[in-house]
Amino acid sequence: MTLSRQEIVSKLIDLVGRDQVVTDETILQESSVDRFRRFEAFHGIFQLPVPAAVIQVRSTAEVAKVLEFANVNKVNVVPRTGHSATEGGLETLLTNSIVMDGSGMHEIIKIDTCNMQATVQCGVSLQTLDDRLREMGYTTGHSPQSKPIAQLGGLVATRSIGQLSTLYGGIEDMVVGLEAVFPDGGVTRIKNVPRRAAGPDIRHVVIGNEGSLCFITEVTVKIFKYFPENNRFLGYTLDHMKTGFEILREVMVQGYRPSVARLYDCEDGAYHFSHFADGKCVLIFVAEGVKPLADATADAIEDIVAGYDECEKVASKLIENWFVNLNWDPIKLAEEKTEILETKNICNTTEISANWSIIHDIYEVCIKRVREEIPDLTLLGGHSSHSYLNGTNLYFVYFYNVVNCGPEEELTKYHLPIKKIIVEETIKAGGSMCHHHGVGKHRTPWIEAEYDSSYYILKQLKRAFDPNNIMNMGTIFPLEEI
Amino acid sequence: MNILVCFTIGPDVEKLSGEDWLVENGLGIDTSFLKPVLNNYDESALEIALTLSEDSRAAQVPILLTAITISGKEATPILRTLNALPFDRIVRIDNQTDLCFKPLAAAASLNQYVRKHAQQDVLLLGQQSSVSQNAKTHLLAAEMLGWPCITRVVQIEAVDSKHLMVTSQVDDGQVQLQIKTPCVLSIGDAPNTYLRVPTLKDRMHLGRRSMTVLPLDSFDLPKETEVLTNLEVIQHRRSSILLGGRNPEETAQKLFDEHLKGSLLSKTELGRR
Repeated sequence: MTLSRQEIVSKLIDLVGRDQVVTDETILQESSVDRFRRFEAFHGIFQLPVPAAVIQVRSTAEVAKVLEFANVNKVNVVPRTGHSATEGGLETLLTNSIVMDGSGMHEIIKIDTCNMQATVQCGVSLQTLDDRLREMGYTTGHSPQSKPIAQLGGLVATRSIGQLSTLYGGIEDMVVGLEAVFPDGGVTRIKNVPRRAAGPDIRHVVIGNEGSLCFITEVTVKIFKYFPENNRFLGYTLDHMKTGFEILREVMVQGYRPSVARLYDCEDGAYHFSHFADGKCVLIFVAEGVKPLADATADAIEDIVAGYDECEKVASKLIENWFVNLNWDPIKLAEEKTEILETKNICNTTEISANWSIIHDIYEVCIKRVREEIPDLTLLGGHSSHSYLNGTNLYFVYFYNVVNCGPEEELTKYHLPIKKIIVEETIKAGGSMCHHHGVGKHRTPWIEAEYDSSYYILKQLKRAFDPNNIMNMGTIFPLEEI
Repeated sequence: MNILVCFTIGPDVEKLSGEDWLVENGLGIDTSFLKPVLNNYDESALEIALTLSEDSRAAQVPILLTAITISGKEATPILRTLNALPFDRIVRIDNQTDLCFKPLAAAASLNQYVRKHAQQDVLLLGQQSSVSQNAKTHLLAAEMLGWPCITRVVQIEAVDSKHLMVTSQVDDGQVQLQIKTPCVLSIGDAPNTYLRVPTLKDRMHLGRRSMTVLPLDSFDLPKETEVLTNLEVIQHRRSSILLGGRNPEETAQKLFDEHLKGSLLSKTELGRR
């Protein structure tokens, strides 16, 4: 029998105490969405079912108790930490969901400089951890734009990646071990070892599960020595994206590992670098690490770029200053809200990845189609910000004026049609529809196409670990399919 | 009604890190690596002008909007944006020198533009720039033109082709005043005045329309009465105590126990007396 809202709230209070169960209507409304629906939310419009409660868990035991209750009574649970998701992964699609907030689990448990790893609870903000590490001469090497607000549990759950990924990797390369709670209340700990060949790597069942299989309570990540004084910043303008992709590929194939390797098209470049790009594409590298390595990397990249006549070098201070100001923080988010409300102009993004041989074609066809098919665009561009031996990502960026429609139509008129074009063209060409934001709830229509025959494996994970379908329903796996 | 909106473009100094605030030769800070941005008050002036132009159509008061700046080529991306919004005319008085702390030169340029190049009914500009913060240009320009000036303006409505209804801030509230043109209006902290964003199509169709460029040396600039002699970085320092709790709850408890409890209790005691 389905529990009523009051019954759910009462039971949660029994389990963890009244002060950890939030039923304030405003907070419930805000907890029914994430940044995907921020335009509606900024206008005070909340179309999804509000959750029954937000429960602020403070320990693994509490997480286990609540999940066990939800599992027995088939109540949907949406796990979250920093609440900075961008793809609707935190939306509460079902009536009387429980939003399980782990941001109160914020203890840095251990920084182990001998074994070069740090263990934290899920609610530790990445900024807090990295600041603590840097005071000691270390870093996580993880630097997504959401660093000041995102927390470790959510970063692992969404397979996050940071601006320094070309050297340090994505979060999946950083996670050593973790603790997670599955819907039956069972606590699973994956131990911290350098590597093992004892069957499949089960960390990857948890990393990127987006709360659809389990709740991550604790994470151990690698740490690295931090040498900011050796950083070398390189910037170039160039005429064509195709050339930029060729240079990125050459750097990667030669085996160099700058921490940053980014390529902006002229539109996106004009937005960030109007003071020097002059309508051109922009290529950026940062080399870091111990001095001989940083210098060798930077010198080699300079040699590679010198082989391309269309590239013009710009002052490194331009790049260094831009990086310092790249990340979000609460002040920037507040300013963003004011600006969006006043101008009705909003920015959204869709990120994909593909091999070198097809990335430029995907870029061209997506830009062409979006430009032709979507009205009221004020900026349409893209950049590559994470490169690999065999390919790179593309981060499409689009601003549009929301006109001749209400705030509740913004997604269906603009963001979703743009996303559809990009996702479909990418899958058709053989790329991946999600590079680092996760599937969330709005790319689920293409999840089968994304996986093709390997979807079998993914689907079995849901069946095996969440047989009662209580974990973040509608995320990764389409709601109608389950 | 001809409205001239004057704006400055300057380095985005908010993006300067602490160690970059270094005074060079006692007279300047290296901002060459910073992106130029519109001065906030001038951005409000530009948006208010566009809104006024739109609203005045209903009142059948035709308005010709001209945006003018004194700057170098670095202003081009912003000028294209204004062209696309659209402003009817864009004028750049070409200047490669630093006009910070030279409000007399700026005001004289505007005065001469109005008198020699294009007669205007209203001069609209932000109350001060973000870098030099002279807050004098509007007053000096009004004096040179012999026009009345209203400061701290937050809203403008067209009454007819010769009159505007102007709302401005005063110390204890707002006043609304009907004013006859010509006049100088200086925009203060005006709410809801982020500059709108042109569409890509407007950028392509309108953004590349021609702009007027006038050399600064074609203007007769007076000698500044005030000369910058020195700049110093003001060090704002506050003493602080690290509370050092292991988590926010513990930190809050330490804050209460060690720093608040005593004073709160003594106030309570005083209250009882």
